[in-house]
Amino acid sequence: MTTHYLVLSALLFAIGGVGVLVRRNAIVVFMCVELMLNACNLAFVTFARQNGNLDGQVIAFFVMIVAAAEVVIGLAIIVTIFRTRRSASVDDASLLKY
Amino acid sequence: MELYVPILVLAVLAAGFAVFSVGIAPFTGPKRWNRAKLDAYECGIEPTPQPVGGGRFPLKYMITAMLFIVFDIEIIFLYPWAVAFDKLGVFGLVEMVLFIVTVLVAYAYVWRRRGLDWD
Amino acid sequence: MNGTIQAPTIEYALLAPMLVVFGAAIVGVLVEAFAPRYLRSAIHVPLTLLSLAGAFALTIWQAAAKGIPTKAAAMGAVAVDGPALFIWGTILVLAFVSVLLIKGEDHFVAAASAVPGSAEEEQALHEGAAHSEIYPLVLFAVGGMLLFPAANDLLVAFVALEVMSLPLYLLCGLARRRRLLSQEAAVKYFLLGAFSSAFFLYGTALLYGYAGSIDLAKISTAVGSVGGQDTLLYIGAAMLGVGLLFKIGAAPFQAWKPDVYQGAPTPITALMASGTLVAAFGALVRVFWVGLGGLDWDWRPVLYGVAILTMVVGAVLAITQTDIKRMLAYSSIAHGGFLLVGVIATGKAAAQNASALSGILFYLVAYGFTTVGAFAVVTMVRDAGGEAWHLSRWAGLGKRSPLLAGIFAFFLLAFAGIPLTSGFFGKYAVFQAAVSGGALPLVIVGVVASAVAAFFYVRVIVLMFFSDPAADGPSIVLPSRGTAAVVGLAVLATVVLGVYPQPVLDLAHSAAQSLFVR
Repeated sequence: MTTHYLVLSALLFAIGGVGVLVRRNAIVVFMCVELMLNACNLAFVTFARQNGNLDGQVIAFFVMIVAAAEVVIGLAIIVTIFRTRRSASVDDASLLKY
Repeated sequence: MELYVPILVLAVLAAGFAVFSVGIAPFTGPKRWNRAKLDAYECGIEPTPQPVGGGRFPLKYMITAMLFIVFDIEIIFLYPWAVAFDKLGVFGLVEMVLFIVTVLVAYAYVWRRRGLDWD
Repeated sequence: MNGTIQAPTIEYALLAPMLVVFGAAIVGVLVEAFAPRYLRSAIHVPLTLLSLAGAFALTIWQAAAKGIPTKAAAMGAVAVDGPALFIWGTILVLAFVSVLLIKGEDHFVAAASAVPGSAEEEQALHEGAAHSEIYPLVLFAVGGMLLFPAANDLLVAFVALEVMSLPLYLLCGLARRRRLLSQEAAVKYFLLGAFSSAFFLYGTALLYGYAGSIDLAKISTAVGSVGGQDTLLYIGAAMLGVGLLFKIGAAPFQAWKPDVYQGAPTPITALMASGTLVAAFGALVRVFWVGLGGLDWDWRPVLYGVAILTMVVGAVLAITQTDIKRMLAYSSIAHGGFLLVGVIATGKAAAQNASALSGILFYLVAYGFTTVGAFAVVTMVRDAGGEAWHLSRWAGLGKRSPLLAGIFAFFLLAFAGIPLTSGFFGKYAVFQAAVSGGALPLVIVGVVASAVAAFFYVRVIVLMFFSDPAADGPSIVLPSRGTAAVVGLAVLATVVLGVYPQPVLDLAHSAAQSLFVR
């Protein structure tokens, strides 16, 4: 049954979402976002199986590409700010407020 | 059975190449004594005690890793195309060439900006 | 394995404007790779401007000479219809103007990898280094902006969303001055943007599970016919909505906007405030109308609430701002709320749809020009540390530089929607469509929010003209030709659209008349 995979995907997505909200380290936050994207991929592939067409699997490829591009850009930005502040905590980045 | 002949031939070719290159190396290569060659094999890096907590990697690793990810993952589009390239015909070929050219542009940029240099 | 695969057909002519922009971006990367450093900017600026102008000409040619296609291009993946062509034209013009602003002064960091305040940075500044990658990045972002509102399936929309956003994340972190703020803006924008696009993607996955396709038209058919899986549909639609509303900065997803607008280099803020908003609204309307039109009884009340919240939050929080760029950001949030009123005003009847849609399109043009102009003025008011953002530094600007202060006051009045400015007709068109669509309470909230917003616009004007200038007040830099052209164009557009809006209104109306192809 595909239900299990969908439940797993929803769980992964939720874990990722909660991680984004509660974790402090920008790298970990970012990893949680990637977890969410992978949860989406799992859902796509499962639905592809369930719907009996290959669209979902093709979409998963595209999502992987986009995720890779996002990793590169995200790490570049996070490393830059880490080199400036010697800290990757999202709580420390608080110059912009109100 | 004849379906598997190409795979078998390929396996034989691959094994032959591997055995040949390893076998011929002692005879053709220069022999120079080097202490590092006698050390425990650790990916070419001198074995050093790891700092507590794993330590930090130099940024070079990250740049190389990022470049690897980008070029590696873009190539996944080649697989579906390779499976059906004969059925996709000229259109598929042209599109794939265009795709590779675009990736190549990024590669040229990295190369010219010395992103591939280790030091 | 013996089945034949139909090679897809791609209407290259229809996609030409986008292809020109992406092609120029790729050529730009090659220029970065192979041209010597001193030549790069000299090649990039004409290349960027010419490609944007060329894409604009192609868009016009397509709309005028070839007629509006009735079928989505590229196997139904990209819909080049009336609204899409209008939005393309708008984005291309706004991007052209923003590029003029980008090349105007030295807004960008000399070496992004150098730690702020380090010897390395000193040296880069001394050598006159510059990141000319800005131009290809802007072109990639603009290409994504063109694709986003034309995307006719959710995967293309997601890819376009990322192609548009990823370069912008980087560009946000490249300000020359106040680099800490800029880097922080980039991190915040990136993390929140990636978070929201994950929601968009999961929504896409659920809708794919529901409808068995990601094609908007097929989702629309499924909404009417597939039963028993409403959970997938509702959660999917809601998550899609979160992703889209984040991009337009609607409350309660507006938190990134002030931070990012403040920290980003001002020309990039101008591009984001105009181009991204236009693109995101185009996509929002398309997804909600083409894909989820059959569900409008369910999403309309939600958008109703979101629109009210957005208008109120934008207008009220703008009052408390002491920073000019943050104030403009909150004003942009409020304008997003006014535009959402237009989205809600769309209805079942074709005439109602057309009037609401044309109102949105006109509003986007009017607001886009005015906001680019306003940010252009912000780049010109400077003191020792760069642009003077704090409102107190703007006190008495009217006495030191009446012309500039007058122009800025004019833009603010246009934001407020005073008659004889473009903002008035924009608001009028949207609110009128909402009234005839039966959303009167929403219009009342909108008018009240406009009044609140007008209060803080007028407060800035009073500050500029009726208070004494500080002794060490900011200096007004003599604008470069590019910046002057931007301000001039923005003033011209704001006046013309305010005094004689009919041609653009007609154009928007005829674009909206054809509605969306499926």
